[in-house]
Amino acid sequence: MAYLTQPDYVKYACSCGQIKPITSLYFCRHCLQIRCGFCICHEVDSHYCANCLENMPSSEARLKKNRCSSCFDCPSCFHTLSTRATLAQPRQTPEQGSGDSKVENKQAKKMYYLSCFNCRWTSRDVGIPDQPVASGGWPERVNPNATRINQLLDYYKAIAQQEKQEKLDRERKKFAIRGKYITLTDKTGLTGAMARNIAGLPSSESTMSAIANFVPSEASADVEELSEDFYTKELNLNQMTSMPQRLAAPEWQPSSVSRLYPIAKLLSVKRSQRCRACDHNLTKPEYNPGSIKFKIELLAFYHVPEVKIISYEPIKPGCTSALLLKLTNPTGHEMQVRLLQPEEVPDTEDRLEEPKSLEKSLEKSLNLEKDNLWYETVQRKADVTATCRVVTPDVTLTLAQRDDAAEYDDDATHDANDIILWRKSNKLALRLQVSCGAEVGAASAAEAALALQYRYRNTVPAAHEPRDHTLHATLLLQLGHVSG
Amino acid sequence: MALYEGIALIQEKQAVVLDLGTDYTKFGFTGEAAPRCIVRSEFWCPAERRYKRLHDYSSPQELYDNIVHMLHLLYFRHVLVNPKERRVVVVESLLTPTLFRETLAKVLFIHYEVSGALWVDSGRASALTLAAPVVLVVSIGARDAEVTAVVHGCPVLRALQSQPLGARAVSAELARLLDEDNGRALNLPDDVLDDIKVRACFVPGREAALQWAARGVPAEVREARRGADAVVSRRARALSAEPLFARDEELASLPDMVLQCIAQCPIDARRALAASVLVTGGGAALPGLRARLAQELRHLAKLPPYKERLQELQFKFHSAPAHENSVAWVGGALCGAACGTGAGPGSGSGAGGGAGAEGRGVSREAYVRTRRLRDWPCLLHNTPHKHPHWDML
Amino acid sequence: MTHYRYSIKILPGATVCEDCTLEGDITIGGGTVIHPRVTIIAEGGPIIIAEYCIIEEYSTIIHKKNEQPENPPKPLFIGAHNVFEVGCRLESLCGHIGESNVFECKSFVGTDVKIGSGCVIGAACSLTTPQTLPDNTVIWGSEHNNREALEKQPSQLLQLDFLGKVMPNYHRLRKSNVHKRQMSRQSQEPAKS
Repeated sequence: MAYLTQPDYVKYACSCGQIKPITSLYFCRHCLQIRCGFCICHEVDSHYCANCLENMPSSEARLKKNRCSSCFDCPSCFHTLSTRATLAQPRQTPEQGSGDSKVENKQAKKMYYLSCFNCRWTSRDVGIPDQPVASGGWPERVNPNATRINQLLDYYKAIAQQEKQEKLDRERKKFAIRGKYITLTDKTGLTGAMARNIAGLPSSESTMSAIANFVPSEASADVEELSEDFYTKELNLNQMTSMPQRLAAPEWQPSSVSRLYPIAKLLSVKRSQRCRACDHNLTKPEYNPGSIKFKIELLAFYHVPEVKIISYEPIKPGCTSALLLKLTNPTGHEMQVRLLQPEEVPDTEDRLEEPKSLEKSLEKSLNLEKDNLWYETVQRKADVTATCRVVTPDVTLTLAQRDDAAEYDDDATHDANDIILWRKSNKLALRLQVSCGAEVGAASAAEAALALQYRYRNTVPAAHEPRDHTLHATLLLQLGHVSG
Repeated sequence: MALYEGIALIQEKQAVVLDLGTDYTKFGFTGEAAPRCIVRSEFWCPAERRYKRLHDYSSPQELYDNIVHMLHLLYFRHVLVNPKERRVVVVESLLTPTLFRETLAKVLFIHYEVSGALWVDSGRASALTLAAPVVLVVSIGARDAEVTAVVHGCPVLRALQSQPLGARAVSAELARLLDEDNGRALNLPDDVLDDIKVRACFVPGREAALQWAARGVPAEVREARRGADAVVSRRARALSAEPLFARDEELASLPDMVLQCIAQCPIDARRALAASVLVTGGGAALPGLRARLAQELRHLAKLPPYKERLQELQFKFHSAPAHENSVAWVGGALCGAACGTGAGPGSGSGAGGGAGAEGRGVSREAYVRTRRLRDWPCLLHNTPHKHPHWDML
Repeated sequence: MTHYRYSIKILPGATVCEDCTLEGDITIGGGTVIHPRVTIIAEGGPIIIAEYCIIEEYSTIIHKKNEQPENPPKPLFIGAHNVFEVGCRLESLCGHIGESNVFECKSFVGTDVKIGSGCVIGAACSLTTPQTLPDNTVIWGSEHNNREALEKQPSQLLQLDFLGKVMPNYHRLRKSNVHKRQMSRQSQEPAKS
């Protein structure tokens, strides 16, 4: 059970120890483990603009500094700007005199400007002239410090080059290996320069000149004093930019509203996600930016039985209360589920001891170094200490497979039982007891931990027969507060 | 600019430069003139349903999680590159806690599997943007103000100064002055205070400040916001930065720090340091702060205890080719572009003497082997490589 | 209030839907469009709405009663080309609202706010503290960010035109009861009685 605006009432423990709602978990069909955004590897798949839904190849994205060439954000409120059209009469200069007839002859031209529908900022506010074309053509600005930074870069690269050269020379001297060819090139310097030319490296001359011509920054004794305006003039807050407005353009960081220019929209990325342990993809999005579908989508929601809380009696210290849960089998196979206490779940190592095929163990050993590194360092034990205990009945429940057609017949079968409340296609309602310790203080959060043992049929290796596995999931139920 | 971008396309992929500040994080590519993004050092924490600050942590594990979330935000929302493919230049203060450094290294190498990283200290990085041989870097951050003397590419550790005189101190004073003006406790949230500070505050000259401290100035500015209708007087605007210049018994004001740093440096570097001061850090962006610092320095140098040793000094100021809040970042970007981040060239012996990264770059393999970073306070890293201590690891 | 019931003056060219609550002394200028379900209450004095305003559904304009009633009560004058978007609420003691303002959806303007011309009160912004909005102020967002626009908001003449044509097809309208200036004296007689 997960909500956008409410707290998550039922949370699952990921194999890495994080506790998250089922909607933010993945299920690796190769390791048969629950994974989450924390313990998987994210990769950038493709760049696109979230406004115009235009794909951009990553090399182009890099050239354009990850910004869309046709969409802009408002520099004032960061809402997307819209292009608006106006009919502009060709401007009349005073020299033209009374040329009314001329104006009429000229066709009114369509001109475009950018406008924000949220804060009503327009590109005219800062004096950007209207454009004759609807998209693009907006003036680009250059960072005023760019030339100096490039000088510095040249200089430091030249120094690095020189140092490398000196180091090489030193080495050469140290070993005193002086073949005659080397002496020849060294003496004339001719072949060396040619080799450099061929290799396309900057010649050593230019390295020298870059160092020689470079002027380090000069300090000056007089610092620009605070302008008199600060002492005498009233401050107009509307003319000063706020911090977010400044930081939206890190290269310029304007301090006055009149220097706010449209910000080209930052691209978004589609990510593919990969299991760290076996390097298989967990999700892979479709390339088309307009599509929200996935090519690979191994979400826990489609593989792990889902638990929802139907209702529960108020939890009182030292008492047992009733708890109604709903179990759903999302897979296309029948599933046997047992409820366990979290302590009864075997450790991860034991679970890996399941008999495995030769290839799989080989694959494992190849990846051993890699996955161990991360898991050794980061893996934690999920903290599922809870104030309440769910009394787990020792029964095996059978959940039917998901059947989309069964959605339509809605008569719940009541194979009433003191545990099973009702049964409806792949869903099952359970009546359970929660016992709360007598020492638990009133108004503390009531949480109950529960473990599921379920049979899972793995359909992934097509070559092999579908195989059944016994898997475990530990989950944490939020049952409000302990009442006094 | 275009030339370098062209080269960058052919050459190995540009490294990324990371500066995780207390309040703002700067992130971008090497060789560029400005960071791609400057964002608040906070992220949305879905478990707690609130924005969580990077530096709010009570356990190493929490810090690890914080850094993972923050870097995820930076890599996939702002800079849009695969962390694996890029080397990283980390710009950090010399006084970054060991736990933070080690955890950051762990996250970078183990969690994001970056192939190499280079740690650059902010003092030297800032000096790199000037290419001057001797620079006195006064960095006013969010929490601390630090004064580092960088002499020929080497920070003088003995003279390193740090005091909690950053932007937070200014905010606290501003909040106090506003409460006084309005006659009630306003309890303004940090972002409103920041906004007032950025849009309204300035640092008056020395004489004006002394005069205004005695009696207020009538003109007023009004800030009407939802839930916070506060009158901002000119007195609050002008005097909020005074804590940076307030001298006490311990001589812990900003100008004192600068003078003490110079006094603790070798005698033959002092003149050069004073003639080459660089004021950086987001806190230094307050209008008039540099001018005021210059006035205070010239004034204090004539007074005891500096009179005998520093009276003759001429103070000169640099202006860096970047905005105050990203100077150290730009230095890191230059350093990363010039020397590559795997194994850098030896320490700069040229006139610049700054490009030296002394091969501080750590590759992933090396990190996985040793699991430790070089650090200046660590005795081990200050012993020669042949020392028996190294064998005892 | 009943004695005000009949003092609603609708100038020719105004489109006023029948399904709206108009109480008190209200004058509606020519070209103005008032959508259904609009509430305009002039309890503290007359309300005069100038030409070419758009008042959309569920918006409320109240001329509040002053604590010390003046005699004669001052009118609330709403300038031309104002747009009151769906669900906005304007409460005013007395005074003057300029021209070409936009009150966006669900915005609220309290009694002590003076509004110039060309202002925009953003969606769901509520102005309760006493203040004066200078001309061309734009307020937006939950933080009530301020900025100053360069020029007044463009008037919605096309929209007015369209509404003037469409509204009569789908709504019962109130008839204009004030005719051209020469005739106004005669027409006011039956209206007042």
